[in-house]
Amino acid sequence: MLDDYFDELDRRRFLMGSAAALGAGILAGTPASEAFGAKFPSRNIKVYVPTRHGGGASRNLEAFTSIWKNYLGVNFQASYYPGAAGRVGYEKYMGIAKPDCYELLFGNMGPEVLNWVVKKPTFDLNAYFYFGQMDRDPGQIFVSRKSKFKHIDEIVAEGKKRTIQIGVSRLAHPATLGALALGRHTGAKFNVIPLSGGKRTRAGVATGEMDCGALPSGGIARRGKNFRILAIFDDTNPIPDKIKNAVLVNKHFGMNLPPLVAGARAFGIKRAAVEKYPDRFKILIDTMNKVYGDPAYQKVLKKTKVPMALFTKSWSREGIDKYVKDITAIGEKYKDLLTGKS
Amino acid sequence: MTDHEEQENPERKSLGGDLVLPIGAFLFTLYYFYTIIDVPRIAQVSAFFVGTILIFLLILLAVRIGREVKAGTADLRLGRLGEPRSFIPKRLALFALTLGFIFFVEWLGFTLTVFAFLSLAMLLLSGGKKKGLAFSIAGILALGGYLLFIVAFNTRFPAGPFEQLMEWLF
Amino acid sequence: MEFDPGLFIGLFARTFTFWWLILPAIFLGLVVGAIPGFSAANTIIILLPMTLAMDPETGLIFMVALYASSRMGAGIPAILVNIPGTAGAAATPLDGYPMTKQGRGQQALAISFVSSVFGGLLATVITLLAMPWLSQLAFYLHSVEMIVIMLFGISLIATIAARDTLKGLIAGFFGLMIGYIGADVVYETPRGTFGFLELYDKVPLIPALVGLFAVSEAFFVIEGESILSKRGREAMQKAGWAGTIEGVRIALSKWWHIIWTSMIGLVIGVVPGAGAAIASFVAYQQSRTFSKTPELYGTGHVEGLIAPESANNGVTSGTLVPLLVIGIPGGATAAIMLVVLQYHGVTMGPDLFMDNPELAYGPFAAMAVTYFMMIFTIAPLARYMSRITVVSTIYMSPIIISFTLVGAFVPRQYMFDMYLALVFGVIGYIARKTGYHTAAILIGVILGPLLETYFLRVLKMSEGDIMVIFSSALGNVMWVALVICLATPYMLQRWRDRKAAA
Repeated sequence: MLDDYFDELDRRRFLMGSAAALGAGILAGTPASEAFGAKFPSRNIKVYVPTRHGGGASRNLEAFTSIWKNYLGVNFQASYYPGAAGRVGYEKYMGIAKPDCYELLFGNMGPEVLNWVVKKPTFDLNAYFYFGQMDRDPGQIFVSRKSKFKHIDEIVAEGKKRTIQIGVSRLAHPATLGALALGRHTGAKFNVIPLSGGKRTRAGVATGEMDCGALPSGGIARRGKNFRILAIFDDTNPIPDKIKNAVLVNKHFGMNLPPLVAGARAFGIKRAAVEKYPDRFKILIDTMNKVYGDPAYQKVLKKTKVPMALFTKSWSREGIDKYVKDITAIGEKYKDLLTGKS
Repeated sequence: MTDHEEQENPERKSLGGDLVLPIGAFLFTLYYFYTIIDVPRIAQVSAFFVGTILIFLLILLAVRIGREVKAGTADLRLGRLGEPRSFIPKRLALFALTLGFIFFVEWLGFTLTVFAFLSLAMLLLSGGKKKGLAFSIAGILALGGYLLFIVAFNTRFPAGPFEQLMEWLF
Repeated sequence: MEFDPGLFIGLFARTFTFWWLILPAIFLGLVVGAIPGFSAANTIIILLPMTLAMDPETGLIFMVALYASSRMGAGIPAILVNIPGTAGAAATPLDGYPMTKQGRGQQALAISFVSSVFGGLLATVITLLAMPWLSQLAFYLHSVEMIVIMLFGISLIATIAARDTLKGLIAGFFGLMIGYIGADVVYETPRGTFGFLELYDKVPLIPALVGLFAVSEAFFVIEGESILSKRGREAMQKAGWAGTIEGVRIALSKWWHIIWTSMIGLVIGVVPGAGAAIASFVAYQQSRTFSKTPELYGTGHVEGLIAPESANNGVTSGTLVPLLVIGIPGGATAAIMLVVLQYHGVTMGPDLFMDNPELAYGPFAAMAVTYFMMIFTIAPLARYMSRITVVSTIYMSPIIISFTLVGAFVPRQYMFDMYLALVFGVIGYIARKTGYHTAAILIGVILGPLLETYFLRVLKMSEGDIMVIFSSALGNVMWVALVICLATPYMLQRWRDRKAAA
């Protein structure tokens, strides 16, 4: 669009150019310097965020780009398109973003790829891919500090006698899949209740309407005074100093679930942009990788109050692709429960 | 709330206008039902319940109006919805201007569009009188709105030539 | 959480020393509350860098003052031009705007200010004293009970529809159907969205509010010279301070009404996620139910203005209770306060009252002081604010249209929402012209999705057994109360008729 027009236009040319030319330039919306084949990036980078401003994604994005911009020499402009669990933002990005490496996506991969399991989007799923994973926050099961349950085994045992109500953020979510898989494996009757977001899920558990909840771990671990985490859907406990006495589900119950990472924010880009401008994408990747090792970045992350161990220190395309494939596969396995159609 | 004043003609009420909203509501409810035929029961139950009551109420209204028409105490002309007739062109023009406002704001940006809309709408409603006043009010409000919404509150309203120029200057 | 008078007196005295911060926050809050689309919550977000830079106590006082005054600000356009600034003020124009049209705008503003201030002040003091008990409420009011509370609010549709019951009910149920647009909360299947992704998350409230009230009003009033009747305009031009003084006197004489309607607000505010809109609808409905003159509601009746205004200000302190006691914010603004406090390393929960009583009780002291200061700073402005109603519709209509459409855009920043507001404007215009109540439609749009959310939740919990809505003891008591409330007006009417006949 036109947003960046004046950023690139240097003042002298503006003063010298005629008003008519200026008007034509604005209406045409062609960034001036692009025509001159200038270096990449020569103007701000736009980021489509498929969630509300103020949530986990915007917090992480701001932290990352506040350092990344120093390496690229341009600013990042985030546009928020919340709605339909991220669907709106993806459709907007795939629909209107230009494939020129100046427009990126930033979302939470796990819950968002599960959207596509429930209902296919209007665009081709291979037309974009993720890169630059920022965090890795596994799903977990937690109870209120006031709950009578002190161990996951007690919940499973109770679940064999009566239905256990488990509050979840939404059905199509890695943490929800974990709870469903655990119920199916142990024969406990787990009924997942979507409460529309982490905040309301915590409220449902805190007020005792839910027996327990299943969410990413970070937000719960920080509220250790109110909640207790009982089980983690990952191969290791990422924050043993904050989460004590929680079991690892695979190990404890002899299951082999893939790591159900519920918080996995990463950038996304149109495949066409990378194919058309591989050199630009390489610049993005090279500069991005420098951010992970930058002490200033660690400092910014500390300010977010999220346990540092939940942020990744590096990433790989293979790792991301495997994660997306795993989450999609387990989503397909429970598709009947996610869509209410058997 | 705006009162619905009594009909002017005491003998025959024109009730056609009263049917516009119900017909819309009816069509919408049918469309809604169509979209939930194939969804899980839990996503249907509440809407089916409310929709069925709505259709029942609409049938009651149709019967009520039908009876009055049959008895000759009412007809199906638009009545108050189309009155006063002299205002129809002005209202349609204002509607068109509003539509234009929304349509053009994406390209012209907040300030210019507000200015254009306010001055044109004020001139339309005043019948072209007091042009100076209309332009000054429009100018002051557009600038004030720019300062309040865009500068102070940092609203991400579509930026047009004016906003870009300001950003570039300051 | 014991009561310690020394602590409270010290706290209030201390809070008063922050007058230099509270005053600007009050005026800022009034402005953002009055413009649809700008809420206390998003203003605080904009000012977050500043708030975070302050120490936690100062930041908290600033946020609380802004929050409380924005509630009051939302009532101003609702009364003067029939445009509620937020959904919480949606019941305010029911009687406020008819008063304005009669030329009693100044009086109505004064009444609204007094009920807001005293309702808010009282709720704050009660919250302080009753914190240990209030904090337990959220543990008892679960989804089943919330369904009944929602129905209390929705039954207002029947109340509003008193003049033509059938048309009123049609408007209300049409609103409910519109409120059901969007994905269901369990399986997220889109319903009735016309294929628009922007409607997946339900009909956004501000565009619906702006369209139904503001845009339709702007198209409606161009027939007249101003929104006032001729008599009203004459009364307005003569007005001095009398309207304000009279308004304050009338409001104070209804002190009992302010007390009990603000308590409705407080109780509903304590429940996470309920909010000001439902509180003001329920308060209005209850006020009318127990009134001796229910037929006067909707015509510019004082009690009909007091009820929603004192209730929605009662909510403000209520929403802070779950935030401070269990760390669960009761609403959007409370959620942001939580973020700020967490940024400063303050942990919410019962311990806060032991470790940090100034911070735990501080917000309430700040709120009380804010309300107190508003009496002297805002009430005198009623006279000048009400002048806006004599502005010619030639200028008023275009201004309303352009600025409220901007408001429709702001919360989600979608162009789509401006078109949506225009669509609702057309619906509202047709409704007005043909005698369907726009407020009834709006109640449906606001409460429909909330009701469905709780309803689907209990259905999912009971695995489809509908009798679950009668499964809780407290819920059943509330069901009985609902039936009594709905039946009371008819019983009273019959009793009066019989008495009149005898």
